[in-house]
Amino acid sequence: MEFGFSKRQIAIAVAAAMGVMATGPAVANGTDKPQGHYVAGDFHNHTTCSDGSISMQKLVQKATDKVDTPWGLDWFVQAGHGGSGNRNCTLVEDDSLSTPVYPFDSSFPLAGGVYSKISTTPGAPYTASNTTWVESGVTPKGLVSGSGASQNMWRWQSIQEFQYPLIEYLNAYKNLPLFLGIESVVAGHEHSSMSVITGQIPASLTAAQLPTSPGPATAPYTPVGSGTALAQWEYCFDRGDADTSRGNTAVGSGIGNNWNCAVPGSLNEADPSWNATAQKLIPAGGAGTGIKGHAKTLEALKWMSQFHPNTSYYVPAHLERAGPFNPDGNNGYNVEHLRDFNNTAPNIAFGFETQPGHGASSSRGEYFPQRNNIGGVLLDSVGGTTYGGTGVYGAQVGGVWDALLGEGRNWWFFASSDWHNRGTFGPDDRRSTQDFFPGEYQRTYTMVRPGTDKRGRPNKLQPQSIVDGLRTGNEWSSGGQLIDRLSFIACAAYGPDRKTPVLDAVGNALVEGAALVAAAKNTDFDLKNCATMGEKLVVRPGADIIVGIVVRDPSGTNYSPYSFPNPSLLQVGITQPLNEPELDHIDLIRGMVTSLPKQPTDPDYAGTWPNTWLTNPDISTVPAAAKNTTAAVIKTFSGSGSMHWKEVRSRDAEGKFLVMTYRIPAVSQSQYVRLRGTNMPPGVPFETDANGNPLPDVNTNTTTTLPAGCTTNCTAQGTLMIPCTTTSGSNVPENGVPYPADSDPIDACPNHLPSINGTKYVAYDVAAWSDLWFYSNPIYVQVDKSTMIAGVN
Amino acid sequence: MSTVFDSPQVATDDAPRDSRRSRAWPSWLREPLLHFVVLGGLLFAIDHVIVGRSDDPRTIVIDSRVDDEAKQIFKSSRGREPDSAELTALRRVWLDNEVLYREGLSLQVDKGDSTIRDRVIFKALSVVDANVKLPRYDDNTLRGWFDVHRDKYDEPVRYDFEEAVLSGDVSEAAVRTFVAALNGGAPGDAQAGLRVFKGRPLSNLEQSYGAEFARALDESPQGVWRAQSTRDGWRAIRLDSIAPAKPADYESLRGVVLQDWTDATMAEQRTAAVRELAKKYTVKIEPSAK
Repeated sequence: MEFGFSKRQIAIAVAAAMGVMATGPAVANGTDKPQGHYVAGDFHNHTTCSDGSISMQKLVQKATDKVDTPWGLDWFVQAGHGGSGNRNCTLVEDDSLSTPVYPFDSSFPLAGGVYSKISTTPGAPYTASNTTWVESGVTPKGLVSGSGASQNMWRWQSIQEFQYPLIEYLNAYKNLPLFLGIESVVAGHEHSSMSVITGQIPASLTAAQLPTSPGPATAPYTPVGSGTALAQWEYCFDRGDADTSRGNTAVGSGIGNNWNCAVPGSLNEADPSWNATAQKLIPAGGAGTGIKGHAKTLEALKWMSQFHPNTSYYVPAHLERAGPFNPDGNNGYNVEHLRDFNNTAPNIAFGFETQPGHGASSSRGEYFPQRNNIGGVLLDSVGGTTYGGTGVYGAQVGGVWDALLGEGRNWWFFASSDWHNRGTFGPDDRRSTQDFFPGEYQRTYTMVRPGTDKRGRPNKLQPQSIVDGLRTGNEWSSGGQLIDRLSFIACAAYGPDRKTPVLDAVGNALVEGAALVAAAKNTDFDLKNCATMGEKLVVRPGADIIVGIVVRDPSGTNYSPYSFPNPSLLQVGITQPLNEPELDHIDLIRGMVTSLPKQPTDPDYAGTWPNTWLTNPDISTVPAAAKNTTAAVIKTFSGSGSMHWKEVRSRDAEGKFLVMTYRIPAVSQSQYVRLRGTNMPPGVPFETDANGNPLPDVNTNTTTTLPAGCTTNCTAQGTLMIPCTTTSGSNVPENGVPYPADSDPIDACPNHLPSINGTKYVAYDVAAWSDLWFYSNPIYVQVDKSTMIAGVN
Repeated sequence: MSTVFDSPQVATDDAPRDSRRSRAWPSWLREPLLHFVVLGGLLFAIDHVIVGRSDDPRTIVIDSRVDDEAKQIFKSSRGREPDSAELTALRRVWLDNEVLYREGLSLQVDKGDSTIRDRVIFKALSVVDANVKLPRYDDNTLRGWFDVHRDKYDEPVRYDFEEAVLSGDVSEAAVRTFVAALNGGAPGDAQAGLRVFKGRPLSNLEQSYGAEFARALDESPQGVWRAQSTRDGWRAIRLDSIAPAKPADYESLRGVVLQDWTDATMAEQRTAAVRELAKKYTVKIEPSAK
């Protein structure tokens, strides 16, 4: 089947059909959204400036190149930890990464001091990017820690003086949408992906002439824009930044930024945690650390709201990893903290990175049981582990995410790489026992609307377009290139008195058609009676909701380096090459919106996810604050049955599109719908349960731990259970033999898989490539006289 | 096994020798202090000779292997051989790192580091592996191993079945009503969807749905929707077909069996070698570890 309609034609047709079926005066005009398209990106990754293994240039190359690393992303935010570091990540590893302003410097590492030669990646050679700031002729500022050549530089300085200039230079030099963020070390909690883009990549950069040679070591490139707003935020609010210099050359020097971190309307100096020298909150440690830290983080969000309301974002990262919230330490997040964030700054704290990076780690996502010592008690990462690579807050239908959506919040799902290194392999090896490169495995697709030039071509993406896109929730995340296009649409149809099977079929077909055109053109649509992800459709009671879904299951191979049969699927008799995954099914999940966004004084605002979840995954044990029991899978689409998805092709794009619709009849209550899909059928041992839900990933993790609270007769969690049985292959390099980008696929179980009694078992990157999922963000349906969806305009 | 001598015989042999010695040598030579000094000196000399042959922890030798590695690293990043100045600098780099490495070891910074521990284990295992020899084998060996492990190769009984999924009310009554509709001609995906399972082995059914479900499915008539109780609730299930178990054919699998036998035998031998090494250790198990 082939559709050749233009977007506008389809829009008119759908509008007409909706109008035909409407009993009231349905207006068929769009909402005048500018033209947009989905772009894939990553905002959480590391270089040697924090604890990553490669330079900024090399990471940008790996993340954006579409030839050597075909997963190259459309946009990229480089975002290392807040705090400090002693390595200069602006020094490139070799000549291939040289640019006129940042050439390979042969004096590094050859003539550097000894500290520069220590590679943090096992097996990787020392490189220039491991050279310290001091060795490269730079003097760290502020309240300096460390000594000699390994003196640390506060992140605020490295952002302001080195990392931002470099990312701006690369943005212009490579003509790529790049900017700078931080993975903040959060006061009162663990980590958060964030940025303040004010000043970054100004429009005037387009006309700027780039220098052709480097400036001095202290300023190789003088930027047109500035990372100062981000640098100030880091100084003021990152838990890892203990500097008290106010962003100056030294404490008390008065020379430099002279920052004051006060938030208008807050206690500031009257707060017991206020440090007059530093002009910022520095909560004391010990009892109440978590509570005081959380309060500081809320101040951080207020500061962003007041000074950078449209130019910042704040997305808690791998938020289940560090366990539950610890009032006396810095651990995880409970649902109430997410509510606090969204209540304080709904325009900035609009989602969570519940699908963590570190997907090839010995413990997927680095989540594992008994990971966290809180008050002398070993507690699990929340949920104990990941579930198909996603944390329990996002993966559990009816859990924390649905609890937040059930209040009509703008709270969106994100996935990031959290790139640091390849574990036991070098950064140029395709195998991994730790991380995937940005875009290689997880890809978050965001709708951006950069506008067009005079010739109608899309303008270059600017940071503002990307942040605006992230904020809208019009996005979805896919692992392992399970799908690379998605159109998800909900349209209202009225008029039960005029409802007939024929009209229903026409309505469904038109919604399908609109969704297909949108997917083929990698865009969305603009109709008053329809909505897509992150939007709300306002309807009258009794309306039918036609849900249209179109995905593209990419043909050919994905970015997996393995071509042997997927070991997880082999368990159930399915032979499918690991690098040619096929979408098995898509679940349509619906939940009811039953309240406005809760406030701290409301009942069921706070609640801790049970630490017993791994051994007793019973939703009745979850506090009411952290669940939404109305959420459920209401429809499963697959290639089977009388109403299976249709496979169609489009003139507008290559590949096979899968098209499906579902009609929710006569709605009377506000609600939302969202999607998840996977290559795993239901009932795959150690991967999915009989209902198709992802099972805990402990059985592909090499870390073995006893379940929380278990002291006697315990069965270790994390016992490897899925055998990798393809033992004979013609291309299975030894672990010590490099396996670079242009190599042929590995055609049998690789040698780095753990072996028990002579049998290899699925773990590390093979576990991740075996078990693929995608998640969409929700579409809200607000029914008149029912609960208002307050979080979405 | 140690040899146990008869004490009286030892005494008899030693007595004349002592008496001969006492006649041939001056008495000062029989002084214990002198024996202590001479033997101590001898031991010291032997120790000096032996230790002197091994690496002196305070001596660092920069040999051709260092140069070769330096040249290889340089060439891989720069595309040419280093000149003499660059090679000197690279040697200095290596030396700095070697100093740090040795100092680190003396400071025992490797203790408690699981990454270093794992790396050392990996290298030690590689040494063990290098000394493990695959025993001779013939077809009888492989066939015998295949027979013992044939459950790994036999094709299990497999089931083709479908589940018509309900959402919302999944009580027994609701499922039975739905089943009646399905048997009346309603499509399997009339409600929340249709799940089609092909060739699922019995073990999979038991694991995902429970043993009771597996038994019930095995006894179900084919092509008829039935309400089935499973470990986590009622489901509408239709058995489509059962493929009987099929014994594996050794001849067609000989290559796979050889690989599996090799892996298993090497693993056994590796384990035996490690257990043998363990014999020289005294293992004490603390009460808390039991």
